[in-house]
Amino acid sequence: MRRPIAISLAFLAAVPLLAGVAGLPVHGDPSAPVHTHVSARYIEHGVEEAGASNLVTGVLLNYRGLDAAGEVTVIFTALIAVLAVLTVASTRDADASNHDGRVRRSDADRRHPDHPVSPIVHFVVRLIAPFTALYAAYVILHGHVTPGGGFQGGAILGGLFIALTMVLGKERTRPLVRPVLAPWMQGAAVLTFAAVGAVGALLTGVYLGFPVDPSLRIVRDLMLIALEVGIALGGAAVLAMIFLQMEAS
Amino acid sequence: MLTALWHNIDYVASVVLFCIGLYVVIAKNNLIKKFLGLNIMETAVFAFIIALGVIEDGQPPIMTGDAHGPFASPLPQTLVLTGIVVAVSTTALALTLIIRVYRRFGTIEADELRELE
Repeated sequence: MRRPIAISLAFLAAVPLLAGVAGLPVHGDPSAPVHTHVSARYIEHGVEEAGASNLVTGVLLNYRGLDAAGEVTVIFTALIAVLAVLTVASTRDADASNHDGRVRRSDADRRHPDHPVSPIVHFVVRLIAPFTALYAAYVILHGHVTPGGGFQGGAILGGLFIALTMVLGKERTRPLVRPVLAPWMQGAAVLTFAAVGAVGALLTGVYLGFPVDPSLRIVRDLMLIALEVGIALGGAAVLAMIFLQMEAS
Repeated sequence: MLTALWHNIDYVASVVLFCIGLYVVIAKNNLIKKFLGLNIMETAVFAFIIALGVIEDGQPPIMTGDAHGPFASPLPQTLVLTGIVVAVSTTALALTLIIRVYRRFGTIEADELRELE
């Protein structure tokens, strides 16, 4: 019953989408609007204006810096929401489960059975862990010259932490996140944006402004790298914390 | 119309992926599967936006010494990077809410939850 309705709705939705797609400029056409407006300017002046050979990084952190600042605020807000929902839930639902008469699946059922991790997975994860960390550092610090950047490197770091936690157990990875440092790590991206934005305001008079003067090129490069590192640490910490919180519940 | 669709086959692929996601969201009963469908729809939109920035015989927009044009547009890639982060955030929040629903009601099947009301 449900399936035919869903299929017909999906086909119905496809009709206007396909009609719109058919009216777009041909794929790869150099005269399409996407290539002739801001993009043309980015490609022509991007390197000297934004200070990054990788134009994607230049556009993300310099031209659209405010957008990226909002973006890191979004992931930070997501972390806050996850913590809020799960923490409230763990206290209140425990009370509720005592009162309602429904048969709930027992706690032991919900928790992962304590089976040992396969030795192959264990070995491989431990083998590639240092190389993954090195790769993440390269992606982060070289993001303004080669493909990569803070978000990508942060995702790799966060993934590494999650893989290690799943294989080695929480006891082994917990020392990586000091309780004192954890909140600062989770807010690292937002705080870095605020700090770099303030530096930009001092130098250029505009929040998150980057100096264009050739003599200040080193300052601009440092600002870009600081943003990359901040985004990466913040992103990785947020991913790791979301994972730990979900696993704990 | 059909020739235009054939020339824009990359965009058509995104539309197909989007509709698969829509189907999963409507047809599946399990809340986690519904959000998988939502993620498929998001991916379709990202693939579409990235495909818009492609240029014939283009190079990646990385200006090293010997790079020469034409370059793919950097703007769609930047926008998608933003979009992916937002998608991850919404997915994390959705999974959290599903965990909470499961703890409270012991099920994440949509029809069983409807019966509980």
